[in-house]
Amino acid sequence: MLLELREVNSFYGNTPILRNISFELEQGQCLAVLGRNGVGKTTLMRTIMGLTTRMTGTMSIAGHDASKMPTYLRSHAGLGYIPQGRGILGKFTVRENILLGTFARTDKQVGIPKMCLDLFPYLAENLDKRAGLLSGGQQQQLSIARALATDPKVLLLDEPTEGIQPNIVQEIEATLHRLNKEVGITMILTEQHIKVARELADKFIIMDIGRVVALGPIADLSDELIEEHLTL
Amino acid sequence: MSVHDFWTPFSAGPFFNALLLGFTLGAIWLLAALGLTIIYGTMGVINMAHGEFIMVGAYFTFLMQTEAGIPWLACLPLAFIGVAIIGWIVERFLIRYLYARPLDTLLATWGVSLVLIQGVRLIFGGEPQYVAVQPHELTQSAELGFIHIPWLRIFILGATLALAAGTWAILYKTIYGIRVRAVMQNKEMAAAFGINAQQVYGMTFAYGAGLAGIAGAMFGGLKTVFPDMGLGYIVEAFLVVVTGGGHLFGSIYSGAILGELNSVFSYFTNSTFARFVLFVLIVVFLRFYPQGLFPEAKARR
Repeated sequence: MLLELREVNSFYGNTPILRNISFELEQGQCLAVLGRNGVGKTTLMRTIMGLTTRMTGTMSIAGHDASKMPTYLRSHAGLGYIPQGRGILGKFTVRENILLGTFARTDKQVGIPKMCLDLFPYLAENLDKRAGLLSGGQQQQLSIARALATDPKVLLLDEPTEGIQPNIVQEIEATLHRLNKEVGITMILTEQHIKVARELADKFIIMDIGRVVALGPIADLSDELIEEHLTL
Repeated sequence: MSVHDFWTPFSAGPFFNALLLGFTLGAIWLLAALGLTIIYGTMGVINMAHGEFIMVGAYFTFLMQTEAGIPWLACLPLAFIGVAIIGWIVERFLIRYLYARPLDTLLATWGVSLVLIQGVRLIFGGEPQYVAVQPHELTQSAELGFIHIPWLRIFILGATLALAAGTWAILYKTIYGIRVRAVMQNKEMAAAFGINAQQVYGMTFAYGAGLAGIAGAMFGGLKTVFPDMGLGYIVEAFLVVVTGGGHLFGSIYSGAILGELNSVFSYFTNSTFARFVLFVLIVVFLRFYPQGLFPEAKARR
């Protein structure tokens, strides 16, 4: 089991946001986290990264208990985070943003990994550009490159296609497909687009008001489920 | 008092000397403000105990000299290390628990300053002590035509520039600096990429305190050493930080400008009146530019 959550509750302050979340993820799988706006998908990602006030229950990464780990150790343990809104450091150059990712590596390898530059030629050509000047799609590429630089076991992608022009969405989708199916990186993906989720994911969970209301292999994602939990 | 007594007429030689003195004065203020700038700019903590870190650095130097007979120049790095350790302890056991409460940090660091002042007074008494500056030549003045400047002040100018350059290099040219700047910009994202923000804060606070310590070692040679001496530096240090906008370059420029203005006003009038004019100018300046000389970095944070 690469990543496992058991009966996880998560809090902002004293307010519980997530209740009784359990799921597991095998090496190489892609999990789609589905649900309407505001049901806790982003909070689930932040909980896995240890960015909420506190969590109860247990979480393990590659068999190691991570329930009490502070955020920076979770990244060392193999989580690569691509947050909602991309989380690019605007005053840093593209190079510095990618170098930031390498701080979470455990193999002490410094310098920008070749894969980041191969996947995103635009970034390779603009390493000394200020990241704040990039477009939304370019920033998303940078965010993915930075997470890959951590040499992650699991990539957490929070709405990677949100607010990005359609032709770039396809590009990013293709990149994610390649990372998951060819490179074999395990993924958790929150997604609004059912179509994208169906193409990428092996399994899904559907969330509603802080709980998991349905889960299973992606083939089981029926129109009834979508009708019940995802349409507005 | 007639106007003539109050107003010194312009005369090229002494005026030029005053200009040079202004740079050394600006350097002294900048040296006092460097650590404060780093701690405020990186952590957003206004360290009210900074003047007392300077004072402790001066006493530390005094102690090194009288008890261990260590020459002054060798005391400088030792004062850095000694006060850095004190700063690290203060961060580790006090400041760390107050990051979410900036007003409380203000009070807590003020409390630390009181403890340090009274603690030093208990141990050493209230009477002034003296730090011996070696080599002896540093206590003399550089004389060249109309120029008349104490060597020690020139030494401090050089040392301040070296420390500012060193700090810049650490922040912008090392991996450690990338970590510090990442935490400055976005603490959450820094943590999400393996940076222990807690540790960065601890080291930064220790570094800033160490800069105060080295400043104290030099100021001890410039004037006398006594428990309240921090007050004499902290006001100017805060002015430099606030006028500069709270980052390294801002402080360097504002230190130079304020020192220069003070020196020029002192030349034409006297040092008390100069201080008065300078403070009024700063108040007016901050009325129109509350973010300081270089607000860009702060506005985006």
